[in-house]
Amino acid sequence: MNQVIQSTHTNFAHPIPLPSAQEIIGASKTRIQKLRARLFVDKYPVCVEKIRLLTEAYKQTEGEPMILRRAQALANVLAKITIFIEDDELIVGNAASQPMAVEFDCDYGIWSQDEIDALKQDGFTTSQEDEIELKTINEYWKGKTLVGRMGQFYDDERLWSFMQSGVVLPPWKTRAEGSGGGYAQGGLGLGPGFFLCGFDFARVLNGGLNQIIAEAENELKQIRFTNADAVKKVDYLKAVILAQGAIIHFAHRFANLARELAACESDPARKQELAQIAEICDRVPAYPARDFRDAMQSFWFMFLMLTPSTTAAAGRFDQYMFPFYKNDLDAGRINDAQVLELLQCLRIKDMQINRTSGKANRQKNAGLAKWHNWTIGGVTPEGNDATNELSYLILEAAQCCPTPHHTITVRVHDGTPEKLMQKSLEVVRTGIGMPAFVSDKSYIEFLLTQGVPLRTARDYIMTGCLDVNIVGQSRIATYGMFIAPLALDIFMRNGIDPNTGLQVGLQTGALENFSGFDELLTAFKKQLAYLMSVAAERNNIELRVMTELFPDPVRSSLMVDGITAGKDMLHRKMPLENGGVLNPIGMINVADSLTTLKWLVFDEKKISMRELQTALRANWQGDEYEKIRQQCLAAPKYGNDDDYADALAHDLYQFWADITGTLDTALGGKHIPTAISITSHAPGGALTSATPDGRFAGECLADGTTSPMRGRDKNGPTAAIKSASKIDQTPYQATLMNMKFHPTALKTNEDLRKLSALIRTYFGLGGKHLQFNVVTKETLIAAQKQPENYRDLVVRMAGYSAYFVQLGKTVQDEIIARTEHHQV
Amino acid sequence: MTDERDTRGVIFNVQHYSIHDGPGIRTTVFLKGCPLHCLWCQNPESQAVRPELFFNAERCQGCAKCVDVCPEHAIEIVDGKSRTNRAVCKTSGECAQVCPNDARNVMGKYVTAGQVFKQVSADAIFYQRSGGGMTISGGEPLTQPQFAISLLKLCRDAAIHTTIDTCGYATWDSARRVLENVDLVLYDFKHMDPSAHKKLTGVSNELILDNAKKIVRELSLPMFARVPIAPGLNDSLTNLRATAQFIATELGDSVKVHLLPYHRLGEAKYERLEKPSQSISIDPPNDERVFELQKIFESFGLTTIAGG
Repeated sequence: MNQVIQSTHTNFAHPIPLPSAQEIIGASKTRIQKLRARLFVDKYPVCVEKIRLLTEAYKQTEGEPMILRRAQALANVLAKITIFIEDDELIVGNAASQPMAVEFDCDYGIWSQDEIDALKQDGFTTSQEDEIELKTINEYWKGKTLVGRMGQFYDDERLWSFMQSGVVLPPWKTRAEGSGGGYAQGGLGLGPGFFLCGFDFARVLNGGLNQIIAEAENELKQIRFTNADAVKKVDYLKAVILAQGAIIHFAHRFANLARELAACESDPARKQELAQIAEICDRVPAYPARDFRDAMQSFWFMFLMLTPSTTAAAGRFDQYMFPFYKNDLDAGRINDAQVLELLQCLRIKDMQINRTSGKANRQKNAGLAKWHNWTIGGVTPEGNDATNELSYLILEAAQCCPTPHHTITVRVHDGTPEKLMQKSLEVVRTGIGMPAFVSDKSYIEFLLTQGVPLRTARDYIMTGCLDVNIVGQSRIATYGMFIAPLALDIFMRNGIDPNTGLQVGLQTGALENFSGFDELLTAFKKQLAYLMSVAAERNNIELRVMTELFPDPVRSSLMVDGITAGKDMLHRKMPLENGGVLNPIGMINVADSLTTLKWLVFDEKKISMRELQTALRANWQGDEYEKIRQQCLAAPKYGNDDDYADALAHDLYQFWADITGTLDTALGGKHIPTAISITSHAPGGALTSATPDGRFAGECLADGTTSPMRGRDKNGPTAAIKSASKIDQTPYQATLMNMKFHPTALKTNEDLRKLSALIRTYFGLGGKHLQFNVVTKETLIAAQKQPENYRDLVVRMAGYSAYFVQLGKTVQDEIIARTEHHQV
Repeated sequence: MTDERDTRGVIFNVQHYSIHDGPGIRTTVFLKGCPLHCLWCQNPESQAVRPELFFNAERCQGCAKCVDVCPEHAIEIVDGKSRTNRAVCKTSGECAQVCPNDARNVMGKYVTAGQVFKQVSADAIFYQRSGGGMTISGGEPLTQPQFAISLLKLCRDAAIHTTIDTCGYATWDSARRVLENVDLVLYDFKHMDPSAHKKLTGVSNELILDNAKKIVRELSLPMFARVPIAPGLNDSLTNLRATAQFIATELGDSVKVHLLPYHRLGEAKYERLEKPSQSISIDPPNDERVFELQKIFESFGLTTIAGG
């Protein structure tokens, strides 16, 4: 098994003459249309096949080392789960046992009947028999899931009251079931895949899994039982060999299936395609990919093995795929139209990996949220521009196949070609919200402060939304969303949580007793630091439980020295140790609220603290209180390039970073600050009472983390950017800035050049990330109904631009109609 | 020596990230006051120099808070909406302060050039990256020459690129003093026939066309010609050919042309100024028509962009 690595380029998969680009484009359009149409289903099935196979294996391996149990569980799934190849598919490998389905997951938590019922109301479907079977399976998993095991550490009221409060989302209901519900996901690897990592796909594409197996076998022979680790190493290496072998077997099942289908296929063109699929699956991922087509299939099999994970990332796809593309192109084996078709097929494959979770988590990650991030552009390890033809083709594929996934992040540096910016913004213009733009300068600086060597730092990738990782060398734990305004709420009630009435925080004193703002701010910071330290404890419990329950030989062997280290990736120290992070949501609301207090109560003395508190408790209801709210709204706010308000935002983010850096993680090292929000600003807002920034109880918090609260920034995008750049973002592993534009503000190439200049200016000022929401008709209608929330929405008229909400209804209607006209 | 910062003027808006008023990312300062009264005016709130009350009836809930605070007792509630007696209103702005629904706004405020410059220079870093700067628009900037000059000089001293968007209706002497401080001129051509021009805008066009020639010939300033397209009013082929002819032969083909199709922005604004009688209703031209007109200008060798 270990000496069969063949040299490349000796035996090509497709000796057929190339069709012309025109022929391909026509056929490809039809293919992509057909494949895309199948993504739209009325109901997403939730299946029990995978959990049944996992449970079967777990039961058979009771008492064995966890790493081997997990390898055997994976092997059982890959050997037995239903596989299928859909019509028109070029890249094969199904994500669940039925098309567009998710599989119940045994790792996160238990699915109770009420959670399953809620799932059914939300567009998912299960069969009666499956539900009954799941009940039996649940019995086995009680206390063995992540949530169940974590709950065993929350006996202490101090921790338990914190978990119930939802300061870290979502609030827990019971120690056994957490917030309720488990996960149900697509992807056939071991779960739950909460760690954000960069896996070394290039290693599989270039060397093949047989090479990894051979290395593991060789390493096994070298072992001498002279220390305690040796025994564990044997278990680990055996697990790697078993799991990687199971993946090869899984690919061969597809080869056989493709051959069977080819035999019965009457259409000669499809017959040919199926034969080719069979030939490719015979080869990859076991052996090195010979060409681009092999590489795409090999990548997909491995991606399926690293999911379920909402945060699986492809890494620098345009970099490690480029040699395959270039070789084929130079040899005349492929053309751009074919590459484009394959890249679109890959987008569609990724759309087939769905996921859902319990009610509370569904709110936190609204929709079928996932962050399968493809990184393109940026600099090479040497510091040169890394943009290549594939970078453009990846963007082009998103333009031709505008699905919400996979997402794309463009790394921007001073030498990023303007052409790449233009192409990226053309995709943004379609309204799909991608690509996102990140700054090489800020991310590389961050990595250097973490001790990463420059060449390595330059090779960083995006995982999750915007979390930085180094392929094979770092990892980030899943972490809670810390609702900063809820911490403020607790502070304003002297440590009492508004929802549970429990003493969650410290007793820092009654609000009206503070004689000056500085005293108040110091007390708030004390409260915040305390709650952060409890959040860090919570993270550490989660980290240890994951280490215990979820070793994964597949992902571990794709990390640096994955074989020689001889340990699961969670049991080793990584070169860049960014294991635990603390992530504040709604910090801008806290900054605005404190600024309002400072201005209104202490500086201008327009109202007393007691009056403000009464108005807040009344949720601003009543004429008198509404008047106070208006005064609060009139106070300076972050996002307007006003130093008075921006200073506090900077100060709070700095404080957060400083405290985070003092808190230990269970993996060794300190916590790292990050600031990304996903959709937590909605459930986080729901838990938080009215805040002094003029926000109503339950209202959404500010989105993003450096974006201003909606409606509070009134000076346009340049002022918002200047405010954001006053926050020192370097200590942060990630920050998130959203901006809204109407499509007419991105109409001409000249418009795109100006937007590109806006992005580059922000990054020059130290900004980390920027993404654009080019608004659609639905948003415009919402803006018409609630203009106060859409003040910053810029629309292009003719000859000049205007703010949408300042327009009369007739014109608004006209623009809405116009937008519809622009929609493709 | 007087400090340019202290010069006072009336503006009705400062718009950041203006991307259609000249090169790069710009900040556009809208000055109040205009000697023309174009039938299709998109910014009727800019015509009078002094601040005016802007009333958005759609937003008014008839809560009567404004009635109580008006120092002139000029407001009453009629049919559930507040109504202002404009003959009595002195634009104190008290009503706008208390209106909870943002239905009442005062358009226009007195400012110093220094205050406006502070807002403009805040975005200097964006101008540097994009090749942008400040655009003075209106209204008609030439109606407040001293204020315009001060603002332009402050920008020039700070190396900020300056553009003016003008209809060109001012004495040459006054116009020249302003334009000497400008890097680029956006110049409006509304109609070539003097009597038609008077009918559409209230003034004849001789002075305007004469000034256009002087800007190019005497001041050698780069110019973008802006041609509004108001169907049925100025979009005859004869007129647009004459416009193109004038630009190409009298100003030269280095002048770029921006065609600005009429849109309904101004119509709602007339209602808010409670001057509905002055509002006209024209259907905006369709894309095909604009494309056809663009071809005319291009046939004269002029670089032409539709939609500005």
